[in-house]
Amino acid sequence: MSDLATLLVQQSINGVYLGCLYVMVALGLTLIYGVMNQINFAHADFVTVGAFTAFFVATRFATKVLGLGDAAAYLVSIFIALGAGAVLGLLVNAVVFAPLRERGDELRPLIATIGISVLLENGQLALFGPIPFQFDSPFAKETIRLGRVFFTGQSVLVVVASMLAIGALYAFMKFTFTGKALRAVSQDRETAGLMGINPDFLIGLTIVIASAMAGMAGALIGPVLVLTPFAGATVIVKAFAIVIIGGFGNMEGTILAGILVGIIEAFTVQYLGSGLIDLVVFVLLLVMLVVRPTGLIAERREENV
Amino acid sequence: MMARTDQAFMMPPSRWVGYLVALALIVAAPLVLGTPYWRGILVVCAMNVLLALSLNLVLGYTGQLNLGQSAFFAIGAYVSVILVRSHGWNFWLAMVAASAAAGVAGLLLAAFAVRLRGHYLGIASLGFAVITYQVLVNWERVTEGVRGIYGIMPPPPIVLPGLPEISFGNSLALFWLVGGIAFVVYWMLDNLVRSPVGETLRALREDEVSAASLGINGARWKAFAFGLASTIAGLAGCFYPGFVGTLVPDAFNIVESFTMLAMVIVGGMGTMIGPVIGAVVLTFLPELLRSAGELRLMIYGIALTLVVLFMPGGILQLVQIVRTRLAPRADGGGSR
Repeated sequence: MSDLATLLVQQSINGVYLGCLYVMVALGLTLIYGVMNQINFAHADFVTVGAFTAFFVATRFATKVLGLGDAAAYLVSIFIALGAGAVLGLLVNAVVFAPLRERGDELRPLIATIGISVLLENGQLALFGPIPFQFDSPFAKETIRLGRVFFTGQSVLVVVASMLAIGALYAFMKFTFTGKALRAVSQDRETAGLMGINPDFLIGLTIVIASAMAGMAGALIGPVLVLTPFAGATVIVKAFAIVIIGGFGNMEGTILAGILVGIIEAFTVQYLGSGLIDLVVFVLLLVMLVVRPTGLIAERREENV
Repeated sequence: MMARTDQAFMMPPSRWVGYLVALALIVAAPLVLGTPYWRGILVVCAMNVLLALSLNLVLGYTGQLNLGQSAFFAIGAYVSVILVRSHGWNFWLAMVAASAAAGVAGLLLAAFAVRLRGHYLGIASLGFAVITYQVLVNWERVTEGVRGIYGIMPPPPIVLPGLPEISFGNSLALFWLVGGIAFVVYWMLDNLVRSPVGETLRALREDEVSAASLGINGARWKAFAFGLASTIAGLAGCFYPGFVGTLVPDAFNIVESFTMLAMVIVGGMGTMIGPVIGAVVLTFLPELLRSAGELRLMIYGIALTLVVLFMPGGILQLVQIVRTRLAPRADGGGSR
């Protein structure tokens, strides 16, 4: 392979790796939006909580208390972070979304979740302090070499784990009865209610699933983040851009847009410098809104554009 | 329509009283809160009032979800400082130009608002603020990037013949200046929203299609609202750097937009006095909670969530509830 081809392949791999992480976060936002037209601003902080949970489980609890090896401890921590995210989702639904749902306002839940976000960030600040934690994944040390292209065990793990999670979610939404009911609720909540579907339960379930994905994403992304209580904020603005580029509430579009943004980010770092990532992504977002406001894969939701 | 127009010109006495009380408060506040620290907070408060008023025009009266108001605050601050420092402009001239620049940027965002609605516009405006922030960070030749601009002077003193020189080096005069401007802006907006223009903006907020069927040009009036609101935000931005003395992009993080949003919502969106109350409360609350140390911002977050959950109309709603409870016999005819 020529140098250029090697570079392209290498950066594409890095891009897909980043993209998978973004998809994990953005899918949660898009699911919640799809089912109840609300934005959860605290979603990013669920990622941070997931990352901190995974950090303490992997480096303290699982290794010291359970006596697991580093690799096993990290894998266990991913599941515990997923659970932590689910619990947060349950709470935010009970406190914010469920009480505010019937008032039919798009703004107040948004502000309430900004309040939750401030609370979570500063709560973690009080607990963990502002100094970044060094979260080393045991898989990051193993490098795999294919020809002249390198990648770490961690990136393989991230891609496999997030593909599994995304695939499972996709299959759940498309093929199970509950998934179909969920999509029915997101198309028309009232009619779905008339068909014997319990919208409140399904909306709660969606938020729990979305938040669990965010927690899991935190565990996977933790080793590449500067792990502070405010770490999630760097991911969330990009996740919003991805959700819009993919089309709000559209799963396929979000997956495609997430991978695309990951690849764009990898090439921006290569050719323009890492300081310009957000600029490139958001200019792309605004161009997208002008040219194709329904998202990459257009569907019904014309009333918003 | 005509009756309301007349009202705007013949103010009822209750409004005159309100204005006089507000003026008295602006004059008295820095004399009561006499320490430089609290006077500084007052200056910040006056700027926040301007920002909350500007956002409320777009959000509360025109119904456009704008999550990027910090961008216009930033443009006002940076353009005014750069014109004064690098181009030797007079501050007051630079202030006019910087406000206008922010207004033009607002028109740019309005171009998106014409096509997008609801959360889409919200994220587009958020993107607008992120792009503005990134430009400030990356365009180092002009903005000095994250290194920041230091040693920024306060507005130059005003010399009026026969009077002592008014210097803005201390926060007392600066507060009276910014507070006075906030008062004038409030008065102008108060009249605007009671005028047919205000009716037009509210019609757009309630139902764009019906408004269009009444001959309202949605695109033009959205441009008007965004342009005016961002000019006001830019005007507020002109006073920020001279007060703080330094200018770094982090002061205009997107979180600042959320703070402005919180002021409008907590106070009472779509009313004139609500955002002012919100700005005052959310400026002073973190300061009053300073003794709570690390818990300070946690309490702030909890308070924000609770207000939204239990007082959907903001603090103003609470005031009205208390007022009706305290005076059950008075009929509600006089209140707006």
